[in-house]
Formats: sequence, C-alpha cells, structure tokens
Amino acid sequence: MAKLFDGVLVFKQIPYLLKYLPTTLYLTFIALVIGLSIGLFIAVIRINKVPVLNQLSIGFVSLMRGTPIIVQLYITYFGIPIALKYFNYYHGTNYDINAIPGIVFAMVALGLNQAAFDSETIRSAIQSVDKGQIEAAKSMGMTGLQVLRRITLPQAITVALLPLGNSLIALFKGTSLAFTCSVVEITAAAKITAGKSYRYFEAYCSIAIIYWVITFVLERILVLIEKKTSIPAEPKEVKA
Amino acid sequence: MNLVEIRGLSKKFGNNVVLDNVDLDIKKGEVVAIIGPSGTGKSTLLRCLNLLEKPEAGSVKFNDKTFNLTTKNKKEKLELRQHTEMVFQQFNLFKNKDALSNVMEGLTVVKKIPKEEARKKALEEIEKVGMSDRLYHYPKHLSGGQQQRVAIARALALEPELLLMDEPTSALDPELVNEVLLTIKRVAKEGNTILLVTHEMNFVKSVANRIIFLENGKIVADGTPQEIFENPTNERLKTFLSNINMLESADNYII
Repeated sequence: MAKLFDGVLVFKQIPYLLKYLPTTLYLTFIALVIGLSIGLFIAVIRINKVPVLNQLSIGFVSLMRGTPIIVQLYITYFGIPIALKYFNYYHGTNYDINAIPGIVFAMVALGLNQAAFDSETIRSAIQSVDKGQIEAAKSMGMTGLQVLRRITLPQAITVALLPLGNSLIALFKGTSLAFTCSVVEITAAAKITAGKSYRYFEAYCSIAIIYWVITFVLERILVLIEKKTSIPAEPKEVKA
Repeated sequence: MNLVEIRGLSKKFGNNVVLDNVDLDIKKGEVVAIIGPSGTGKSTLLRCLNLLEKPEAGSVKFNDKTFNLTTKNKKEKLELRQHTEMVFQQFNLFKNKDALSNVMEGLTVVKKIPKEEARKKALEEIEKVGMSDRLYHYPKHLSGGQQQRVAIARALALEPELLLMDEPTSALDPELVNEVLLTIKRVAKEGNTILLVTHEMNFVKSVANRIIFLENGKIVADGTPQEIFENPTNERLKTFLSNINMLESADNYII
C-alpha cells in the first residue's frame, strides 16, 4: 500500500516552516499593540460617555464583533485600494497602492478586530475597580490622568490579564488568515509547500505543532506575568 | 480667626434637598462633630468640600483664599482638594499598594516630594498610628481597624488644614472600633482641625469640642457637647437624642 501518511515529513519540514514564524509573530505583535491601544482609547471614551465618539465606538465594536474576521480581512484588502483609487481620481494624486505591502492590511484588520474585543475587556476591568479608591485618589488632589495611571489601570490590568491573554492567543492563531491579504506566514507557507508535494495533511500537522508549542510558551509567559502583578498571598515582614 | 468659612452650601439629589444654604465657620484646632438622623446630608456636607459631590451653590474660604464650590476649573479643583484630606467609612486604601506606599502616594505624586523625604515622612505618620510593624502589608492583609489607621496616616501625611472624617468607624467590627477611636483622639489632641461625621455619641462627647446637629439640610443646633447633650433646647434634637437613648434602653429591655 502506498504511504498514506508520511510521519517523518511532518517533522522534517518544520525547520523550513519556521522561517515564516517571524512574519506570524511580527503580525501578532503589531496587531496586539494596535488592539490594546485603540481598545484602551475606546474603553475610556465609553466609560466617560464622550458625546459623538461614544456612539461611534458602540457602532464600531458592534460591527467588528458582528462580522467574521475573514470578511474583515477581505474588506480591508479590497476596500482600501478602491478608496485610494477614488481619492486619486478626485484629488488628482497618484498614490500607488502596490507600494503598501499586504501585511499592513492584515495588521490593520487584525488590530482593529482585537481593539473591538479588547475594548470591552478593558472597559469591564476598569469599571471593576472600586469607586472608593478613585474617590480617595481624587480627594488627595490627583489629576484624572494620575488616578488612571497609578490607581485604576494597575488594578484593572490584573483583572483584564486573563481575558486579554485569551484574546492574544486567539489573535496569534487568527494570523493564519492573513493569506487573504497575500501575506506568507506559516499557514500560507505550509499550503505552498503542500501544493508542490501534495502532502497537505502533513503540512497542516506540522503547523499545528508549531502553533501549539508557541501557544504553550505564551501561556507560560502569561502565568509569569500574572504571578508578578498579583498581590502576594503572604505579607512581607518588616525586619527589626 | 476662622480657618474655614463655608457659605451658602446647597445640594440637591434630584428633587431632594440635602443641604439647604448651609453656613459654617470652623476655627483652627477645633474638632467639630456633625450628628443627625440618616439622610440629612452629613456625609454630603463633607463630600461637597472636596468636590466628590457637585453642589448647586456655595463657597469655602481657607485662610484668605475663597473657592467657589461650583467651579469647573480643573486647576482650582485640584488646589481646593489639597486643603483637605478625607478619611472614608470604607477606608479606601489603594489595594494594589502596601501600607507604606499608600501613605507615600500623595506625597510623591501630588506634592512632588522626593522619594527619600516622602518615605521618611510616611514612616513618621505610620509610626504615630502604631502600624510600623506592618509597612509592607497590603490592605488585604490588614484588619479593618488597621486599614483605617493606615488611612488616617495617609491623610495626615499630606498635612491638610482640615481633616474630613466620614463615619470612620461605621464599617468596623465592634472589637476594632476602639483602636481607631483612640487614634482619632490622639490626632485631635495634636491640634488638627477636624470635621467629623459619626454615630459614636459617647466618643463625640469625649473628643469633640463642638457639635452640630444637622436636619433636613439645615444646621438646627450648634454648641459644645454639654449644650447639645445635657441641655438640648431644640425639640427635634431632643427627639433625636431620646431616640438613641430609647434604642439603648430597648436593648436593655430585651435582655
């Protein structure tokens, strides 16, 4: 019988696929930064109910959460060039869409998607910090920014860490959809090699292993951060 | 000379008038206790002075500087808040910081005092409330009474001209009330000016040198503990005091 499953190949092609891991990680990292910063921004807007921006934020979060990520990637990838063509036409400019690498579209789409989810996590975490401490900080004479930076955020981060970790892991795996923006990361690379050898099953097994190992490392890092930011169970005694 | 002059303080929650054009002068070193039935605006009066509540009208004068309590100017708000410090019913220590950092926080962040100096000052204040052996304890490691003592140190470290105390013992287990009351008594003896809301009538008698009876947003009676407790002239005050006494006698009755 023909060799239906080439177990050796699964491991043999991992080093080749790992060459594309930096693209995956880079994409994850940038989308994470975009997601967290815009997410925090939206959370602050929604908590303070800033007029106009609040309504826009609600619409944005609803849209991003209500459509599949793959649709968002396609819309970004096809939509921005169309918008740019219109812009060029009406302003007589000549910007070249091909000058923008595909990975930028993927970063924007994944980042905005993260922002929508993270904003809700951050908002609930900030609102979980008890009002009394905020009052105490205000009554001392701290400015709003000082209260946020020194009292609210450090405590909110501890609350938000686990759900944000979840969302980071989902994002890391979500980068496998970036091929829609013609980005070659590990999933796309696996498909390309499999296209040559017709060993699709082996290729997917290889990347499954890579994703799992990296996610395992991420989980460990998150546990470490959690330990570091949590308040010690036992108080440190004062040395006499 | 008056240290604090409150004029025309009015506050409504919806249609409910909580403070009705209140005037109050406080002299330096005075310990003023506010008593009265619940819902009469005792806490609100304190919280209007550091703008945790927004009053509809009113002003407060510290020394020579008058602040409009309805101001929207952020800088002015911050400046006003530095004249007072507050001790809360629920302590409100920063849960992400240990006792020492809680006391240092205002010194380094608000007063911009260098770290070493702030630490020294914080250690002094913590020593005074008898918490020196628990500098690195977080709030969750401390009992309610200990948390409140740290909170008192935190407030005093900032050297407020007026210390606001909002029912500082109401959230404590009965056993822990005493350690906090003793701390407050010492703070009062040191010459701090205090505006205190409390239900501990016996404590008020021994620590306050002036008592204000607040009812329906107005100051109904204002006098020394003797005048208030021994010769109350106001009818409503009499009922209030007898209600408290009745409660005490009811307890005895049940036993």
